[in-house]
Amino acid sequence: MLLTILAAASLTNVFPAIDRHERYSFGGSNALAAQIRQGAPADVFASADTALPRQLYRAHLVEKPVVFTHNALTLIVPRSNPAHIHRVADLRRGGVKLVVAAPGVPVGDYTRTVLRRMRQSGVLRNVVSEESDVRDVLAKVALGEADAGFVYRTDARTVRAKVRMLALPRSAQPRVSYAVAVVRGSSHAAAARRWVHRLLGKAAQAKLRTAGFLPRR
Amino acid sequence: MTRRVVVFGATAIALAFLLLPVVAIFARVPPGRLFAQLGNGAVLDAIRVSAETSAAAQALVLALGTPAAVVLARRFPGRGLLVGLVELPLVLPPAVAGIGLFAAFGRFGLLHTAIPFTKLAVVFAVAFVSGPLYVRAAIAAFEGVDANVVAASRTLGAGPTRTFFRVVLPLARAGLAAGAALALARGLGEFGATIMFAGSLRGVTETLPLAVYSEFNVDFDTALAISALLVALSAALLLALRWRPSLSTSRFRFATSS
Repeated sequence: MLLTILAAASLTNVFPAIDRHERYSFGGSNALAAQIRQGAPADVFASADTALPRQLYRAHLVEKPVVFTHNALTLIVPRSNPAHIHRVADLRRGGVKLVVAAPGVPVGDYTRTVLRRMRQSGVLRNVVSEESDVRDVLAKVALGEADAGFVYRTDARTVRAKVRMLALPRSAQPRVSYAVAVVRGSSHAAAARRWVHRLLGKAAQAKLRTAGFLPRR
Repeated sequence: MTRRVVVFGATAIALAFLLLPVVAIFARVPPGRLFAQLGNGAVLDAIRVSAETSAAAQALVLALGTPAAVVLARRFPGRGLLVGLVELPLVLPPAVAGIGLFAAFGRFGLLHTAIPFTKLAVVFAVAFVSGPLYVRAAIAAFEGVDANVVAASRTLGAGPTRTFFRVVLPLARAGLAAGAALALARGLGEFGATIMFAGSLRGVTETLPLAVYSEFNVDFDTALAISALLVALSAALLLALRWRPSLSTSRFRFATSS
């Protein structure tokens, strides 16, 4: 019996590393939440924020969510760095092609928080595309078609040969918490609860840390 | 008797299967609320972007596709292969079309252009998938023009240009219009190649189908309203095609019979 796990796109590499037997569907957490609202037959929902699982919990669509890991944002540029971006302020220059995730996608909202805290929201003028999940942002920068993008550090690490990370000031980092919940009406609720329990366990947490996720606090 | 029941049953199931999702779009939200949702700023922006890019793509397709179809309607060695290649985008998965457009026109593509993520990128994506539909229909339309009529026009002293505009084009008109309408409808619905090659940005590259996708994650009713609009537009295009007698070639029937 396989569990169907809807998980944030940023978990694309690490979840199969933790457990390669289940059926995964990765995407923007908000898109996955919309699927659950439309009755998608899923067993577990792992979101890149806590707000979406909480909304679903209040709507009695998932069981009580629990935080299982954390992450941080980074600015990435293609290795060749065609627009010569070295810090966030460089993104203001005319003609820079910046790609971010859409508002409502967790990483899209975090990106806007970072820019607000750095008083650099003006760089959003140079956004050429609002993507539906973090891996779409990553792909467009790794391909070299976009000059820069905001992704999680864990995403940038998966394509280290293609992108360069530009660290963000610690004071600008939002609190990125991932919450997981068992989907109500799951036909494998007991197995799904065991799976969530295992995600909080030592082995899975070690895998998450190896992938660059931050420990539960 | 039983055979009849089976045939009718299968027909009913097929029609219901094809129509139900379309009807359901209108059934799920009352029409008044559908209209209200269409006044939403993001929807108005998407309508504008779709109108602009579809018009530009259609102009491109007609201007370049018509001469191409004239040439491809002639018999010459290798024609079958060439027609097959022109039709290839029709059957390509949209994601493959997106990758192909990057590989050709991307910053690191063969031609090193700055087209990705611009409105022109949407026009390219739309024209790439809708163009073959028009060219295919146009080839068939030009092939259907009786060679004797063309020869008669030339014998009576009309030059090739005059013959083309006064004889060939009017005779092919119905087929060309059908192809153009299909291409327009297909182009309006373009999604996969656009979201990859042009990205999605409100007011710039977010077309109606892209707005359906992004609104699905935010507000299902708005996604439904845009979908209803797209259904209505597509249906109008198809129906216009069927019910415009002026586009039929019937008045040339006597001229073409040999």
